[in-house]
Order: sequence, then C-alpha cells, then structure tokens
Amino acid sequence: MVQLASGRPVLSPLRSVVTALSWVTTVARLVLGVSLFVAGAIKIGAPAVSVQAVKAYELLPDTLATVVGHGLPIVEIIVGILLVLGLLTRPSAVVGGVLMVAFIVGISSAWARGLRIDCGCFGGGGTVGADQDPGYIWELLRDAGFLLCAAWIVYKPPGRFAMDSALGLAGSREPGPADGDEDDEDGSDTD
Amino acid sequence: MSKRAREASAKARAAAQREAVRKQEQRKRTTMLTTIGVIVVVAGAVTWWSVRQSASEEVTGALAPVEIQPDGPVVMARPGVTAPVVDVYEDYQCPACKQLELTSGSTLKNLAAEGKAKVVYHLLTIFKQEPTMSNSLRAASAARCVTDGAQWLKYHDRLYQEQPSETSVGFGVDDLVRWGRDVGVTGADFESCVRDQKNVAAHQQYSAQVIATQKLPGTPTVMLDGQSLGTTAFVPSALREAVLDAAK
Repeated sequence: MVQLASGRPVLSPLRSVVTALSWVTTVARLVLGVSLFVAGAIKIGAPAVSVQAVKAYELLPDTLATVVGHGLPIVEIIVGILLVLGLLTRPSAVVGGVLMVAFIVGISSAWARGLRIDCGCFGGGGTVGADQDPGYIWELLRDAGFLLCAAWIVYKPPGRFAMDSALGLAGSREPGPADGDEDDEDGSDTD
Repeated sequence: MSKRAREASAKARAAAQREAVRKQEQRKRTTMLTTIGVIVVVAGAVTWWSVRQSASEEVTGALAPVEIQPDGPVVMARPGVTAPVVDVYEDYQCPACKQLELTSGSTLKNLAAEGKAKVVYHLLTIFKQEPTMSNSLRAASAARCVTDGAQWLKYHDRLYQEQPSETSVGFGVDDLVRWGRDVGVTGADFESCVRDQKNVAAHQQYSAQVIATQKLPGTPTVMLDGQSLGTTAFVPSALREAVLDAAK
C-alpha cells in the first residue's frame, strides 16, 4: 500500500479523470434522453401515423405493428424522461440501447429490401435521386451514435446530476476511489 | 480479558455495520419499487389517453347519400349540406391512405351522415414507379366502373382492405371483378369495364390535374375547407372536433 502522503498528488489527476467521465455520462444521458423524448412526443398525438410507420417496415404482423405503433412513443417518452433525470439510469439506458438496435435492424432491412419508409405516399416526380432512398445511411449513423451513448451510460451510470444518486439508488458495483459526493457509491470495495 | 473485549467490540461493530448496510439496502429497495410503481402508473395513464383519443368511431346508422360526379370526385353528403367541405385525396395503392381509412374513415362517414360535413373523395394515382403505378391505375379505373354511389363506397372500402404490398403486383383484374361482385356491384357492364381498364385515361387525366392544381405533396391529404389537416386527419377525435369547429 502506497503511503497516503505520496498518494495524494497521484490521486488528483485520477480523480479529475473520474469526474470528467461522469460528466460524459451526463452528456450522453441528455443527448439520448432528449432525442427519445422528442421522437416520442412528435408521434404520440397521432398514433395511427406511428402504426403506419411500423407497418411500412413490413417486419411485423399487423396486430403487433399496431401495438408497437401505439406503445413505442410512450416508451420513448418515458425512457427519455428517465434518462434526463438520471432515474433508473442503467435499465433506462438498456431499453434505449435495445430500441436503437431494433431501429438499426429495421432500417437496414428496409433499405436492403428497397422499401420506402414514409408517413405518406409521394410520387417522386422524376427529380434526381427521388427513386433512391435518401437518408437511410444518415438515420443509421445517427442511431449508431445513440447506441454508443446508451452503451456508455450502461457502462458508467448514472453520471452527474442524477436522481439515482440523490435517492441513493446508484449502484454499489463501481469501486471508484473516494470521489466524494453524488455519483459514487458506497466504496465498500475500496481499501 | 482485554483481548476478549476487543473481539466483542469488533463483533458489535461488524454487526452494526451489517445492520446499517441491511437498512440501506432496504431503503434502496423501497425507493426503487416506489419509482417503478410511479412509472407504471404514469405509463398506464398515458396509454389510456393515447388509445382513447385515437380510437376509431363505429359507423352507426345509415350513410349519407353518395353521388359520383362525372369527372371523378365522389360526394358524400346529406341533401342540402354544402359546408364545411372535407376533401380526401387518396390513392388505392398508398399504405398511409389505407391507414387513414382504417382510422378515420368511419368518422368521415359519420360526420356526413350527421349532416355535419360534405365529404368529397378524390381518388388519385400518386405513384410513378412500378408496380405501384399500375396497381393504382387498375384499382382506380375499376372503381370508376361502379355507377351507384352506395356500391362505390363499399367497393372503395373493399379495395383498401385488399391493398397489395408496394413491392408486388396486385389489384389484378380477376380480383377486382370478384370483389365487386362480393360487395354487390350490379352494373351490367362492370366486368367488361374492369377487364378492359376503360377508365385509365380519364382517371390519369383527372389525377394529374388535381395533383397540379391542389399542389398536393402526397397522399393521403385531407383538407377542411381548403386547408390541409395534416396528421390531425389520423386522430378521429381531433378530426371530428376540427370539422365541428369549422361548421360553427
């Protein structure tokens, strides 16, 4: 065991790294949470449009597509709020990550089959590129980015400004060094 | 003695620590369960609201008279009802139009039957690629072979039920004839009219003209007195409210 006196200057940079990492989690939570919330809020007013969008992927039978179309906006809104609040952070991030994987699979499959996922039908009056499927690649990249956010949050929850910490729900599995206040844990593993 | 005392106090301290940890775990579990409970209640309430406000109406009672105009549009209204006008621009092959009919078709029928609106259907062909374009043309042309308004509306609903995928050839003439017979289309020359696709040219002309003059971005588009309702058309309760407000 290193003497505490000599450990002190070594600990400081380490501590700032840990602090920085927990801020990364906060940012990831805000990015993913706000995006999910907005995506859900746009859809929830008109679930029939959302059902139509799910059906357009031609992956699910109609009844299941109806359930998903109605349920997805609600799940997105709730998970979005939980991530922003940092409440039940890790499970919320897991759900967010699963959604992103599902979106990535769905979009890739629609792209591969040449489907167009629109909320209406458009003629594409002979304009350049109208017959291609614009945007799929960007949607995939965007969702991959969100998936990364989710993965980071699952790896290092709950970050700064998290209700999990305030309520004492933050897990006890991170044996972080005495980092003080919110984001850490009881430190039972440290010695 | 002193060793025993030390051991005892160590034991006590350990026990106290275990107790504290146990209490903390318990508190954590209670908070967790409360949080989950609140989330479940909120989710349930939102689901209930969402399902309720988007629930489709049942068609009750007799429909308003349906009249086919010579150039293509089909008017559904009680005699003397001229406003507000709800224009429905749709394509038999368009999946979003099918969804609109499934969701809000009954509301439009009810509003017309109640004398609260004059509903005008405009069947178009929005697609410019195959197989969707030919599917749409065959269906729209066949529907124009129906001469009776009430029969037309039944056939129109049946065509939406039978809508093929956008990626496959569908709305074949044999099927189009059979579905007509199923819903009670009686015209003597209905079958030959469908098989010969007699109305394709007339339909294409009407369709192109409407898309150009209305500057339609796509289908379905539902307009209330000339203003597009956007996604409101997909929310039966909101659609009804908008139409009733316009009638005031």
